[in-house]
Amino acid sequence: MSLLDRKVRGFKLVDVVALGLLAALVLGVYLAKTMAGRERTEIARIERQIAAERGRIRLLEAEVSHLEQPSRIGQLSQAYLGMAPATAQNEATAEELVAIAEKAAKAKPKAPAAAEPAEAPAAAAPAPAAVVVAPALEAGQ
Amino acid sequence: MTAVHPGYEATPRRRWLTGGFWSLERAFERARASDKAEDDTRIRIFFVLALFAFAFASLALGATRAAVFSGLDKGAAFRAAGAARADLVDRNGRMLAADLLHYGLYIDPTEVWEVEETRRLLLTALPEMSPARLDRVLRSGRRGFVFGGLNPTEKAKIYELGLPGVSFEPEQRRIYPLGQTAAHLIGFSDTGGEGLSGAEFALNQAVRGAKPGSPVPLSIDLRVQAALEEELYKTAQLHSVKGAVGIVTNVHTGEVLGMASWPTYDPNEPGRASPDALTNRAGASVYEMGSIMKVFSVAMGLDSGTVNIGSVIDASSPLKMAGRAVRDYHAENRAMTVADVFMHSSNIGTSRIALMAGADTMLKYYKDFGLMEAAPIELRESAKPIAPRNWDPNTLASASFGHAISVTPLAVAAGMGAVLNGGTYVPLTIKPVAPGERPKGRRVVTEETSKAMLDLMRANVVHGTGGKANAEGLRVGGKTGSAEKPGRGGYQRDKLVASFAAVFPSDGPLESDRYFVLIMMDEPKGTKETFGFATGGWTAAPTAGRVIDRIGPILGVERVAELAEPDPAAAAKLAGADD
Repeated sequence: MSLLDRKVRGFKLVDVVALGLLAALVLGVYLAKTMAGRERTEIARIERQIAAERGRIRLLEAEVSHLEQPSRIGQLSQAYLGMAPATAQNEATAEELVAIAEKAAKAKPKAPAAAEPAEAPAAAAPAPAAVVVAPALEAGQ
Repeated sequence: MTAVHPGYEATPRRRWLTGGFWSLERAFERARASDKAEDDTRIRIFFVLALFAFAFASLALGATRAAVFSGLDKGAAFRAAGAARADLVDRNGRMLAADLLHYGLYIDPTEVWEVEETRRLLLTALPEMSPARLDRVLRSGRRGFVFGGLNPTEKAKIYELGLPGVSFEPEQRRIYPLGQTAAHLIGFSDTGGEGLSGAEFALNQAVRGAKPGSPVPLSIDLRVQAALEEELYKTAQLHSVKGAVGIVTNVHTGEVLGMASWPTYDPNEPGRASPDALTNRAGASVYEMGSIMKVFSVAMGLDSGTVNIGSVIDASSPLKMAGRAVRDYHAENRAMTVADVFMHSSNIGTSRIALMAGADTMLKYYKDFGLMEAAPIELRESAKPIAPRNWDPNTLASASFGHAISVTPLAVAAGMGAVLNGGTYVPLTIKPVAPGERPKGRRVVTEETSKAMLDLMRANVVHGTGGKANAEGLRVGGKTGSAEKPGRGGYQRDKLVASFAAVFPSDGPLESDRYFVLIMMDEPKGTKETFGFATGGWTAAPTAGRVIDRIGPILGVERVAELAEPDPAAAAKLAGADD
């Protein structure tokens, strides 16, 4: 009797094996799909999160660009810190720094009071924390 | 017997298939002929089974692939937040314009429970929302757009109201984070993502076609732009001008490092700006520029061999021409060298040089300097000049000192580059040029002429009308201009176009880095500080000096001790006299 003709409890062995394989396949596909669905949901969630984060990063970059624009910084530093554009006298090359430092070191012991301004300029101006920043991008730009 | 039409000519592939089929059929026939009919049946069953098995296997593979690997298009999720237009950045990568994700607010009235409550809450949360539009959508009976451009915070605020029937759709919106800074150069685009002005319009294809994440750089340096704008706008307000222009270029590469036009506008809200504010005066407006055009006339005279620096020109009396006389505003009433003609901004002297050179020579050089055409730059706003058709002696004389011909400040900047960079005309560009690269350009004047003009311009700041433009150690050279504006009944003495064309550093080898600065004021008013003067020497020149003082270190121009400093008294005396 060939293997194809052998019967188990009245059923052909080949049919039983085929049925078993089919059941295994169905179960396998079901499990694979369930797991894949879970993974896909997770991937989609992460992708949405990445997209949202990227959008957020771009928004922050734009806000940084807005807040750091030179004209705005210039206006704020002039208005609140009493600063002004650097003049030729304020500039120094790297080589000149040593000489400037030596000059400052020599001047210090002679006039210690000069190192501490009688009235701190910062005291007259509002603290940097009080600087009113322009409306952030998120607030409507 | 054959199964195909006799006229049918099978292609090689079909021939192979039909050949295989008939070969199999003949195998069955042979089996039947040899009394082995069961073999024939077995083979046929096996064949059909094999076909079915193959079909099922294919289906199983397809189903598995669809079930397990579908929906994993990674790009799709990012495209929603991506940019339809690439970012615009300055030459150092600082953001100038960007597409940012915003949200549109939609309402489906069929899902709205409390119409009045929904209306009240939405109008409270978004006061700028149009009540009429909201009512129209609420009454329409189908889902409709109500309000656009919500940022994530605003969206979250509406979302938290928990209103049924209210939903959001992502949309891209062009944002200009710097507001008014470089507004005319950057330009703006419409809500459909098409550029409408400035670089947004000029580089529309590049901006729309750039790879995601790849910004499009512009040639401007934001630090230079900021310094230029601050000084220009300050002066514009101080002198109550009708308009003002500031341009900074690299004379060797033609790169525009800064460009400002006053009045200005916010490209985030171009609809609120007046047409006057939207106009880029640097490129879209033409002016009779006055005496800064003497730079071209004197360069023409020197380069064509008509005169040399030491040539003596008779400026002892007004130059009488048909129906008029050309006069000097601060007449020296003497014979002058060409250098003196330039430094005293003598109309008589420049006219005589132009007349000596002749119309053909003058026209050739003006064409070579690009003054007879729109400045070649990517900006579509670049306007054509208004030039005379008939170059008779009268016109020739007027054109030599900046009247009779109206050009854009951009055209002047491009032409000045040719005079100051060693003699080659390089088109202006708003795109950055690679470090170390210098466009070849076309030769206009010799290197000797270029050097002579640099020296003359420096001498004009040290001894002539441009003394107020000096910036310590930066060897500024320049030429003032104060042109009366044409009006009804002739030129108006009280309405000037005041300008200053500056170059720095003016010394060193011709190939060394050099920058051009143009400051122009349209109808400035004199102030107490300027003793009522509104000429270029009193308005534009000091502004140019302050701009150069600030941008020199940014551009890497080293300050050096100067052998000759301008005499303030002489400069003040001459500054009011330039024309």
